[in-house]
Amino acid sequence: MSRGTASLIDVSGVSQIYAGRDGAPTWALRDVSLQIGDGEFVCLIGPSGCGKTTLLHLIAGFLQPSRGSVAFQQQPILGPGPDRGVVFQEYALFAWMTARQNVEFGLRAKPLSRGARRQLALDALGRVGLLAAADKYPHELSGGMRQRVAVARALVVEPKVLLMDEPFAAVDAMTRQTLQDDLLRLWKETGVSVVFVTHNIDEAIFLAQRVVVMAPHPGAIVSERIIDADYPRDRGSAAFGELYGSISGELTNGTRRAA
Amino acid sequence: MTTISDIDLSDNTHPASPSFEAQFRAANEHARRKAQLTRLTLNILGLMLFIAIWEVIPRYSDWVNEVLFPPPSTVLQAFIPMLTSGEIGRNIAISLQRAGLGFAIALASGIMLGLVTARVRWLQYLTEPLLHGFRAIPTIALVPLCVLWFGIGEPSKVVLVAWGAFFPIWITTFIGVRDINLIYLRSAACLGASRRDTLLLVVLPAALPFILSGIRQSIAVSLIVLVAAELSGASAGVAYMMSQGHQLFRVDIMFIGLALLGTFGFLADRVFVALARWLFPWYAAS
Repeated sequence: MSRGTASLIDVSGVSQIYAGRDGAPTWALRDVSLQIGDGEFVCLIGPSGCGKTTLLHLIAGFLQPSRGSVAFQQQPILGPGPDRGVVFQEYALFAWMTARQNVEFGLRAKPLSRGARRQLALDALGRVGLLAAADKYPHELSGGMRQRVAVARALVVEPKVLLMDEPFAAVDAMTRQTLQDDLLRLWKETGVSVVFVTHNIDEAIFLAQRVVVMAPHPGAIVSERIIDADYPRDRGSAAFGELYGSISGELTNGTRRAA
Repeated sequence: MTTISDIDLSDNTHPASPSFEAQFRAANEHARRKAQLTRLTLNILGLMLFIAIWEVIPRYSDWVNEVLFPPPSTVLQAFIPMLTSGEIGRNIAISLQRAGLGFAIALASGIMLGLVTARVRWLQYLTEPLLHGFRAIPTIALVPLCVLWFGIGEPSKVVLVAWGAFFPIWITTFIGVRDINLIYLRSAACLGASRRDTLLLVVLPAALPFILSGIRQSIAVSLIVLVAAELSGASAGVAYMMSQGHQLFRVDIMFIGLALLGTFGFLADRVFVALARWLFPWYAAS
């Protein structure tokens, strides 16, 4: 099932240090290396403090690594850009714009007519099933709907990779499953790579072709697992349960060691 | 066992029937209207009660001097000829012009400087002692100086209003822009937004709730400074009219001025709220 083999994102020997309250250096990441292929779906999983969000922010270009290098298509990442779309955990939609205006925002940088922009935005909203909500403001939408709009906004500029930081953590379990199904559908339709941060084992196994398990203090990669089961995956299957058990065990070990 | 056919669907009070919903809607609308009407009635009643007491006490008590505290009927008698002669209208127009021009200057410069000082770090550090220092000086303390510098003509009034109204707008814009949620800036950056789009479509709207509160304060400040400036020497204006009344020992004219100033402040605030609601529909609701 693993689609591409060419490396899209290259994280090599990255450490991230920040100054704590008393000025003492704290290691968010220590010597982390990771390759992500073109079209690949990778989940980063680990307890809080394991540096999974930091790693995602490094790829997004929000941070520069203290040591090591992060490259995108063989070029070092110098800052955020439209080739790497981000969906945040909190609601990041612009509250002063309707759903359609939010989706249109990223298209302003492209040489498109007003009408074309509008049509592309409506198409993108249609793909996440929210055409009817195009003229609604974020506060008029449910949490799940807002994250759908956020996904449409990120995808409409056709990024090479979608960086998702626990995007479904704040929605209820039933909505989360629908959002997961939709994400897999969009991933297949667009061929975009996905780096998905989560602390939910079930979510990681359901979505990812590869699960990267991380541990805190200092943030590091503990293991990587390729999951080659076909989509859609059956949460009730024995293989699913087995994977759940082993990842869960690893996370508990990592956390206990650190605590 | 109950099946669907056991329920009498012809009964129009069945909760799911459209007429039940219509009834609920009508009752709800009725209750809302009634609450509104009650509020309005009490508002008007309060106003009328105040006027009635004000009328009765100077007239019929011997502990309030009718000349020093003229009842509404006397004030109205003075008001009507002044209105028909155009004196009132002229004074209102001049006062509003001064306040409006000063406020407009403050609005433009306050937002611009607030934006720049919050976005450019070195400029912030360079200007913060000055801006905070000047902000601490009550504007009224500058009135005599301003008269010396700019005379008693229009410029000194406009400058004073602009000066006083500038600071609330500047400080709230500064805070709103400085404390913008990082996630908005990051969202804009990873969507490839230009600097201009980021500033106009993300930073300014995100800071808007703060800016609006600053504007509201500035409207009130404009009026205060206007009065101080006009009292210190002018040849027209509402506060000038009041100081004339003072010199002529015409308390009724002074009362007219007070009523006018109260009405300005009230109307300006209402217009502001209505305008903000109309322009930024997402703001009040979110």
